[in-house]
Amino acid sequence: MSVIHTDVLVIGTGFGAAAPALRLAEAGARVVMLEKGPYINPFKDFRQTQDPRYILRYIKGLSGDHLNFTYAEGLGGGSGFYEMVSLRAPSLVFEQRDEDGCPLWPSGVDRSALDPYYDIAERMLKVEQIGEHEVPKSGLVFSMLMKNLGYSCDRARYAVQHCIGSGFCTTGCIYGNKQSLHLNYLPQAVAAGAKVECGTEALSIHPLGDPRSTERHRNWLHVPERYEVLARRSNGGTARYRAKLVVLGGGTVGTARVLLASRPYLGLLSDHVGRHIAMNGSVKAAGILPEGVPDGDMFTGRSHCGMISYQFLESHGVTISSARAMPINVAGTTHLRLAGDPRDPSYWGQANVDLMKIFRRRVIAIYSLGLTPPAATIELGDDGRLSASLDLGSGLRRYHETTEALLHNILGQNGCRIVNVNFIDGSGREFSDPYFSTAHQVGSCRMADSPERGVADASGEVFDHPGLYVSDGAAIPSSLAVNTSLTILANAERIAAGILQRYNLGVPTSS
Amino acid sequence: MSVQGLTRRDVLRRLGVLTAGLASACTPLRIVLHDYPSAFDERDPAERVLRAFVLTVIPEAEVSDPNLARAFGDPDLHYAPYRGFFISDLCRRAEARTGEAAFERLSLAQRTAVVQDGLRADSTTARLYTGAILVAQASYYAGIYDDKRGCALIDFDGAYQFRGIEAITYPDPERFLSRPATPDGNWV
Repeated sequence: MSVIHTDVLVIGTGFGAAAPALRLAEAGARVVMLEKGPYINPFKDFRQTQDPRYILRYIKGLSGDHLNFTYAEGLGGGSGFYEMVSLRAPSLVFEQRDEDGCPLWPSGVDRSALDPYYDIAERMLKVEQIGEHEVPKSGLVFSMLMKNLGYSCDRARYAVQHCIGSGFCTTGCIYGNKQSLHLNYLPQAVAAGAKVECGTEALSIHPLGDPRSTERHRNWLHVPERYEVLARRSNGGTARYRAKLVVLGGGTVGTARVLLASRPYLGLLSDHVGRHIAMNGSVKAAGILPEGVPDGDMFTGRSHCGMISYQFLESHGVTISSARAMPINVAGTTHLRLAGDPRDPSYWGQANVDLMKIFRRRVIAIYSLGLTPPAATIELGDDGRLSASLDLGSGLRRYHETTEALLHNILGQNGCRIVNVNFIDGSGREFSDPYFSTAHQVGSCRMADSPERGVADASGEVFDHPGLYVSDGAAIPSSLAVNTSLTILANAERIAAGILQRYNLGVPTSS
Repeated sequence: MSVQGLTRRDVLRRLGVLTAGLASACTPLRIVLHDYPSAFDERDPAERVLRAFVLTVIPEAEVSDPNLARAFGDPDLHYAPYRGFFISDLCRRAEARTGEAAFERLSLAQRTAVVQDGLRADSTTARLYTGAILVAQASYYAGIYDDKRGCALIDFDGAYQFRGIEAITYPDPERFLSRPATPDGNWV
């Protein structure tokens, strides 16, 4: 088995991994990035398709009772397939507390601390507020529904340039307009000397001696190799990597998997690994637009429809947006039933056909993202399989009921006829209600003020494991009520800046 | 694809997003894999039954669509190991209900009733039926075998066809836009 020596090993190539890789490579460190999924050339490999074989090549899921996590595996992580919504987390997000009254975020990490790094992230991704004349039809119709009720609605912000609204954001932008990491961080990191190895899955982390004995080192040249990472290549081979620093950036699911598998070797690892996962409380609702309201369009326009309402953020802890759903998303993950339609069968047969025929233009779908507590858990079984679970408790059940009622109220007051949306598993069986389906899972290895409350400190360094960092969504301790990617990236920039400062590794040059 | 040599472990491993979990319920897997007439593995009669099934689930589906029943035998969608049993079960229930074993010869109302019988059966059989409905709806509405074709029934164009910005948005956004709560889209 070969042994690769490097200064920094970054596990992952998504939002949490790309910033540390770039900044450390720019500062002169030898950086190797490991990506479990395949290499992606955004100008050749993305497709405008509904083919599940293509989608499942990159998009993965982890389901449990009442929840499903979606995440991507491939170069660039989720950045190739996300909706490119890029919003800063509202200040009140950082004030959330757990059931014991303790702050969820560690001291010193709040909106004002992240703002300079949001600035960097926005410049790198070319984030802009969508123009009035670019808002897709479904976003405009959603805004009209809010306007009718006297509610505010804002144009959202996106990491895209010259969007033509083809509607296939989530299968990858074939035009190169979406500012995925393939167009900025990753090529810049490679230009700075970083190496990227795709099809290579980090399996476990092993300390080389007692890493705590190296904690005093501040001179980068004197820092020894402290960890060895065992990895498996897609061609069946294995490899070992030895590094001074290991940065975990494989996402909320991926990072938890690696740390859980490493628990036998990282003896001082916090018991909180895999726990306290927040999932942004996504609740969905749909309705048929009444006569007089112009058509929406479920199939074209950017995947996130351009508008977000903060009207209920302070009162209910939620933001509300309209959603688009491509046919594979609708037919492959839900049963739709028109409320009050007495026909049986309801979700298939003529009743379903009648609904699907008007789905594109006359159905409006809206959803909330909310400040739900970190109540989900990922566990690693003896067979190596991950499982997820969600502690509904009375709070989450009540949140789902009140939020769904709020969404139905918005639709109902506008004269929309409600369409009941029931999510299904891979065999078509309906999940028990309530059900949370999200790509916004965060916090499986959260930052905290002490190992009694989390896995890593405010700098992202794993407690009692100097040189081992968590820089991705796994480190984010709470729901954000907005899409998570920009906050993950900004926090990763902050963590990278902290590493540079700690080891006097110089000042990054590009931004 | 033959299923005769598959072990339970093989089958469980093959279960994917569109049919995951089917094997975990109460009907013994040997029934799914072995106890059905082998004639249903023959392509043409099986194809006729499955096309009739899709036209039951989606009564206005295009009858001449060559891909109408393709997904049921697609190894990547993982329904293929259950295809033969499912066809035989449709025909068995058709005969029990109407005296006619050829499911495809029944009226729409009769076929609908047969499918509903399957959905009300034991939990594994019911999941085979919900899985089959899922395969039919997802493959047809999403047009998964032809990126450019889409699905005319639901006005889905398939891969993007540029029809000008007016096809994406409205020319008078001020008519729709509500008052903003932020200067730039970010909440403070």
